[in-house]
Amino acid sequence: MQDKIKNSLLNRRGFLGNTATGLSSIALTHLLSQNRLLVGRTDEVADSKNPIRPVIDPENPNRNRAPHFPAAAKNVLMIFCAGACSHIDTFDYKPELIRRDGQPMPGDSPITFQGAQGNLQKSPWEFKPRGESGKMVSTLVDHIGELADDISFIHSLTGKTNTHGPGENFMSTGFTLDGFPSMGAWVTYALGSENEELPAFVAIPDPRGTPQSSVNNWGPGFLPAVFQGTDFNAASPIRNLVRPDRISLERDRATRDYLKRLNERHLEKFPGDTELAARIASYELAARMQLSVPKISDLSTEPAHILSMYGADDSENKLKAGFARNCILARRLIESGVRFVQLFNGAYQTGGEGVSNWDGHKTLKKNYDVHGPILDQPVAALLKDLKQRGMLEDTLVVWCTEFGRMPTFQKGASGRDHNPSGFTGWLAGAGVKRGYTYGATDEFGYKAVDKPATVYDFHATILHLLGLNHERLSFYHNGIERRLTDVHGHVIHDLLV
Amino acid sequence: MLTDLSDCQRDTGMPSKQPSRFLPGSRILFLVCCLAAIGIGPHAVAQNEAVPPLADSDRVDFASEVLPIFEAKCYSCHGPAKQESNYRLDIKQRALEGGDFGNPPIVSGNSKESDLWIYVSGEDPDLIMPPSGSGPPLTLSQVETLKRWIDQGAEWPEHLSGHGKEGITTDHWAFQPLRKEGPPQVDDWPSDVFPIDNPVDLFVAERLQKNSISPSPVADRTSLIRRLYLDLHGLQPGPDEVREFNETSSSKAYEQLVAKLLDHPHYGERWARHWLDVVRFGESTGYEVNRDRANAYHYRDYVIEALNQDKPYRDFVREQLAGDILGVDEATGFLVGGPNDIVKSPDINLTLMQRQDELADYVHTTSASFLALTVACARCHNHKFDAILQKDYYALQAVFSGVQHGERLLKNKIPEAVRVETETKNKQLASALAKLEEWRSSTGKPTAESARLLEMVNAKLNSDPFPPSQARFVRFSIKRTSSAEPCLDELEIFSPDHDKNIALASLGCISTSSGNYANNPKHQLKHINDGVYGNNNSWICDKTEGGWVQIELPQETLIHRVDWGRDRNEVYRDRLTTDYEIAISLDGENWQAVSSSASRKPFLINGKEPEDAFLARLSGKTADTARAEYQQVVQLRKRIAELKASTPTGYVGQFGAAQEIRRLHRGDPLAPREVVVPDTLSVMGSLGLDEKTPEPERRLKLADWMVDASNPLTARVIVNRVWHYHFGAGLVATPSDFGVNGARPTHPELLDWLAWQFMENGWSLKWLHRQILNSSTYRQTSIPRSQPTKVDADCRLLWRFPPRRLEAEAIRDCVLQLSGKLNPKAGGPGFLLFEIDRENVHHYFPLKEFTDEHFRRMIYMTKIRQEQDEVFGVFDCPDGGQTIPQRNRSTTALQALNLLNSKFMLQQAGYLAERLRNEGGATPEVQVKLAFELAYSREPTNAELQDSVELIKLHGLDAFCRALLNSNEFLFLS
Repeated sequence: MQDKIKNSLLNRRGFLGNTATGLSSIALTHLLSQNRLLVGRTDEVADSKNPIRPVIDPENPNRNRAPHFPAAAKNVLMIFCAGACSHIDTFDYKPELIRRDGQPMPGDSPITFQGAQGNLQKSPWEFKPRGESGKMVSTLVDHIGELADDISFIHSLTGKTNTHGPGENFMSTGFTLDGFPSMGAWVTYALGSENEELPAFVAIPDPRGTPQSSVNNWGPGFLPAVFQGTDFNAASPIRNLVRPDRISLERDRATRDYLKRLNERHLEKFPGDTELAARIASYELAARMQLSVPKISDLSTEPAHILSMYGADDSENKLKAGFARNCILARRLIESGVRFVQLFNGAYQTGGEGVSNWDGHKTLKKNYDVHGPILDQPVAALLKDLKQRGMLEDTLVVWCTEFGRMPTFQKGASGRDHNPSGFTGWLAGAGVKRGYTYGATDEFGYKAVDKPATVYDFHATILHLLGLNHERLSFYHNGIERRLTDVHGHVIHDLLV
Repeated sequence: MLTDLSDCQRDTGMPSKQPSRFLPGSRILFLVCCLAAIGIGPHAVAQNEAVPPLADSDRVDFASEVLPIFEAKCYSCHGPAKQESNYRLDIKQRALEGGDFGNPPIVSGNSKESDLWIYVSGEDPDLIMPPSGSGPPLTLSQVETLKRWIDQGAEWPEHLSGHGKEGITTDHWAFQPLRKEGPPQVDDWPSDVFPIDNPVDLFVAERLQKNSISPSPVADRTSLIRRLYLDLHGLQPGPDEVREFNETSSSKAYEQLVAKLLDHPHYGERWARHWLDVVRFGESTGYEVNRDRANAYHYRDYVIEALNQDKPYRDFVREQLAGDILGVDEATGFLVGGPNDIVKSPDINLTLMQRQDELADYVHTTSASFLALTVACARCHNHKFDAILQKDYYALQAVFSGVQHGERLLKNKIPEAVRVETETKNKQLASALAKLEEWRSSTGKPTAESARLLEMVNAKLNSDPFPPSQARFVRFSIKRTSSAEPCLDELEIFSPDHDKNIALASLGCISTSSGNYANNPKHQLKHINDGVYGNNNSWICDKTEGGWVQIELPQETLIHRVDWGRDRNEVYRDRLTTDYEIAISLDGENWQAVSSSASRKPFLINGKEPEDAFLARLSGKTADTARAEYQQVVQLRKRIAELKASTPTGYVGQFGAAQEIRRLHRGDPLAPREVVVPDTLSVMGSLGLDEKTPEPERRLKLADWMVDASNPLTARVIVNRVWHYHFGAGLVATPSDFGVNGARPTHPELLDWLAWQFMENGWSLKWLHRQILNSSTYRQTSIPRSQPTKVDADCRLLWRFPPRRLEAEAIRDCVLQLSGKLNPKAGGPGFLLFEIDRENVHHYFPLKEFTDEHFRRMIYMTKIRQEQDEVFGVFDCPDGGQTIPQRNRSTTALQALNLLNSKFMLQQAGYLAERLRNEGGATPEVQVKLAFELAYSREPTNAELQDSVELIKLHGLDAFCRALLNSNEFLFLS
C-alpha cells in the first residue's frame, strides 16, 4: 500500500514535469487540489489513512485510472427507485407481520413522517420461495424474484432522514444536505472511464421525469464539473449534442477546423499551457461524443427477442416499455465501458406522492400495481442480459431507494409511511455472493436488528468492490478532506465472494 | 514538512513528546474511538507482571506521580483544549463529576468502582483508554499507581487543579496578532523589467529573489486593459477604450484606468458574484421542495451597492450580521441566503434536526466567510485540527438562536411618502374607531338573551323550526357572514310527516340562487341539495351580503323545519352565515318569513359580537350615519393594508426571541447537555454575554467583535479573498480555511501588511484593489517561462500573471456584450431562466425562447438551487448549496457542446453577425477586423485574416461568429 501512494505521488510529480514543455496551469494544480499536498506532508505517507489523490490529466480528465487495490468490479450500474420503495412489499418477508395483520404494533406507536400509525398491515402481495436459495420474494416483483439466486440482499440498511430529498441526497451523495458530490462523481474522479468517447458517468432519468432531488443525485458537488453525471435517456438525448439542423455537416466541420486553428495559434503564445490545450482537446472529445452517443442510444439494432425480454415492445404499458428501453440503454453503456450508470425508476416531475414514484402513503396497492410492473420485468431482463453476456463478472449491479416503509398503514389511510430504521438494498454481480442474505429487520420489518448496516457501509462496500478505499478517496474542501462516507462506513465483508 | 504537525501540537497544548492524534486522515469519531476494542489487552499485561503489595508507607504523591500520568496520557483528549465525551481531567471538580457516561470516574477509596481506573486498566476490553490510535496504553505500573492513588483516597491538592475557565491557547499563525511591519528592503533588483511601484512589489520581489526566480516584464497595454476589464468588470473593453489607452501619453494612464473601472457600477456587479459564492447565496429553498424566494434579490443588490459605494468592509460585516438594528434591513439576507429544508412533519426528530441544520448553516457561513474558520466541524465534537471547542460551536449557535428563515419588511426601503401617509392613516383610524365605540355604547347591550331561543349559529348544523306551513318555495337569504362570501354545504327541508329531507334534487326539487361563486367544481349550485355534505360539495354565493338560495318543491307541501350548515364534516368554519332569514312562498312571489337569526343567540367570536353588529340595533338616520362612519373605518384599514403591501419585503430573515441553546452530545438533538451562553470562540476571547442577553444584542456584539481592530482574522481573510480573485489563488490558498488544515500563507508578511494597512485605510476595499492592481506584480505578462516553471509551476511566488478561463457569468456576459445584446438594466427582481410549476415541490422547466430581459448580466439571474443555466451551468457554476470560496475550473466536452450548439449561443452568434454587418460593413475583411477588435482587442494577423475571410466566404458570417464565441482567446483572462 505504501508503495502505491509513493507511486501516485511520483506519478503526479512526473506528470507535472513531463507534460508538454513541463508547464502546468493553475487549473491542474486546482484539480489536484491542492496546495496541501503540494506543500508537503510526504512524511506522513505511511499513515494508511492518508488521501490517495488520483492523477488527473487536464487534457483528458476521464482517462482510465488504476484503483487503490485490485478491484472485483470495473463498472457500476445503480438502479434507484425514487419515492422509497417498500421493503415490506418486495424483498423483506415477514411471516409474523402476516400473522398479526390488523393488530396494533406492540410498544409505543411511533410518530413518523406523516404522523400517527394505524395497525400492522401485511403486504397485499403474496411471498413465494424462489430458486435454490428459497428466498422469499413477493409477487409484486416476480421476475426479479426469480433471479434471487444471483442476488445479495441487505435487509438491515438504516438511513438518517425520513424525508425524500435529504434521503435521495444521502443515498446518492452520502450526505443529507445539498451540495455534496454524488457517488458516480466520486467514482469517476477516482477511476476515470474505460471509454473516452462517452461520458464516464451517465444518469438515466425515468421516462416520467427526474427524481425528487433531481440533479443532486448525479451532481459534482465541489468536485470539478467534469466528474458530474451526464443525464440522458432512451427518449431524450444529451442537450446540445446534436449539430443544429440548419448547419450542414460540412459547414460545421469547417467551422470547427477554423476554431481549432484559431486556438492553436493562440496556444503558440502560451506554450505548454495545459488549460488552453485541454479546451482544444475538449472539442475533439465533443466531436467523438457526437458520433458515439447517438450510436449507443440507437436501440434499433437490438434484436426483437431482446426487446421483448425487457418488455420494450409492450404496447399495453407504455411506461414500462419506456423504462425497459432505458434498461437496454444502461446495458449498452456498461457494455461500452462507461464507468458508472445510475438508472432511475420513478419520478416526481409528473406526479407527487405515489403517482409517478414509490411513495405509497395513502393507496399503496393502487400505486404499486402501477409501479411494480414498470420495474419488474425490465430490471430482471437487465440482470439476465448482463449475465448471459458475461458482464456480471466485472459489473456491480446495485439496487437501492432512499429508505423503506412502515409495516403499519398510516392512520386512516391504506398506505405506508416512511421508515429509515430498516430497509432493503441489494447487490449483484462482480465480487458479490450469490443467493445471499445479510442482516434482518425485526419481526415486522420496522427496525434493523440483525447486523444493522448504514448507508455509509453500503457505500463503503460499493467503493471497496471497485478497488477503492473509502477512507482514502477524498477531496479537500472548505477545511475538510471530504469523503463519500464522511467519517463513517465499514465494508460489509460478509457480502463479498 | 513538519510545521503542520508541530503547530497542531502547540495549538492543543499537548506536550510535544505526545504522539499526535492529529495526523491528517486519522479522522475518528470520538466515541467510535473511545469504544474501539484494541488488540493490546490489559489481561495479557496482568498475567505477565506481579502486582506489588499495597503498603501504607507507599503513599502515592499526586504532584509527582499521578499528574504526570494524566498529562502524558489523558490531557490531549480530556484536558484544557478538548473534553471528549465532555470529560475533563485537569480541573479537579470536573474530574470528579465525570462526563457523558454518567458514572463517577473517581470514587475515593474504591478503584474498582472508579470508571477512570476501569478504563485505563482495560477491565473492559471494549472500553480502554487511551483508545487505539491515540498512543500506547498505560504501563502496568502507571495503572497500578492510579489504583493505589484512588484506593488511598484520591487526594488532589486544590492548588494543583487547573482553573475553572476553559483555557485554550494556540500559536497557529492565523490567530496571532498582525505584525505591523513595513515592507522588506530589496537590493540588486532588475527594476527595468519589474519596477518596484509600491510596497506589494517589495514583498513579492523579496520572495522571488530568495528563490532565484526572475520576474516577468510588464505586459503590453492591450493585455493590461483587457485584464483589468475582465478582472474588475467581467466584461471586455470596447475598441475605443483600448485605442485611447494605447495612445495616451499620460504616465498615470494605468492608475487612472484602475480608478475609472473601480468607480464604474459594473465593478460591483462583477465582484458581488465573488462574495455571493462565498456566502452560498441562492434564491430558492433547495432540498426537496426547492421553492423560489421571489424577493431574496434585495440582498444581492445590497452587496452590489456596498461594493460600488466602497462601503467600509467593517460596516459591510456588521450590517450582514445585524443590519436589522443598524438600519440596513436587506443586509441580513446574508444569514438566510442558504438552503433550508421546509418539509414539515409531526416527527419531532425531523423537526429538531432541521432546526439544527439551519443553525449550523448560520454558524458555518458566518465563521467561514468572515473568519475563514471551519467552526461547523465542531458540531459533534471538538475540532479535530483547530483550537475550536464543541462548546464554541454552540456558543455561536446561541448568538443566532433567534434567527429564522423568512421574509421581513425592509424598513429602510419604505418611501417617505408611504411612511407619512401610513402615519396619518393610522391616526385617522384610531379616532374613527373611538367614534364608533361611542355609537356602540349608545346602543346598549345586545337583545336580552331570554328572547332568543335558538343556539348561536355554528358551522356544522343549524336547525330552524317553525309552525307547520304549506309551502312550494323555501328561500334562505344571507345578510351577514363571518368572512367572505357565504358557503352552505346543504339546505334541507323537513315535513312533519316524516323525518326525511324533502329538498333533494333527486326528489325533483329545483335549486336557484341570486348568484354563484365563480367556476369551481367544489362549489356549485347543484351541491345545495345533492344530499352530499362537506366543503367539496357545497354552494358559495357570489356576494358577501344580500344573496339568497332557494328550493322549489315539486308540489305544495306541509313543512316545519329547515336544516343548514357550512360544513357538516367539520373541517371548515369560515364563510359562515351569521345573519339570515328563511322565508316560504306558495307562488314564488309573496313571501312569508318563518325564521331568522333574530331568533338565535347573537353570534360571538371569542365571546364578543362582531365589531359592526351594533349597526343592526340602530335605525333611521342614526343608522345611516353610523353605517357611513363604519365604512370609513373599512376604507382606512384597506388603505393601510395597501400601503403595507407597497413597502418592499425581502427574504432577509426574521428575528424572534433568543432560544435556549444546549450543547448536543455528538450533535444529536435528542441528547442535549448543558446550556451554552452566546459567545465567540474561546481561543479568541469572549463577548461577555449571558443567557439573558436579548436577541439583537447577541448578533450586534458578535458583529462588533468581528471587526474589532484586535481581531487577527477578519482583515487577513478579506484581504486574502481579494488577492485570490485578482490572481486566481490567494496568498493563503484556502480562502475559507485559515486553520491548521488549511494552507500556509506564501507571503505571510505581505498578508499582514495588507491587512493592517487595509484597516488603517478605513477598511476600504477599493484602496485594497488599488494597492494590488497598481503593483508591478499584477502588471506582469502572463507568458509562461520554463525556468520558474520548474521550481514554481503553480506560480505561487507570482513570477508572472497567472492566466485562467473566465467563470460562467463572465463568459455569458461577454458573449452578450460582444453580440451587442447585453441589457444594462441593473438591480431589482432578477430574470428567470425557467418556467416554474409551483406545486408543493417546485419544478423548473428551462425556457426555450429568450427576450431582452434574459440578456441582463448573469448576476441578475434568479439563482435557483439545483437548477443550473442550461448552457453555462456546466462551467463549474456553483448553485448556492454550499459555500464556495474558490471555484473549480474544469474543462469538459459538455461545455464545448453547449457553446457550439445551444440555441442561446447560436442566437448570439447571429446577433454578432448582424452587428458586424451593421457596424463594420459588407465585406468579410472589415467584418473580421471589427470582430477581432471587439473580441480580442487587437487586429487579426494576416494569416488569421485570410483564414477568417475564407471561412466567411465559404460558410457565411454566422459560422465565423460561432467559432469566435468558442475561442480560447475570447474566454481567457490572461
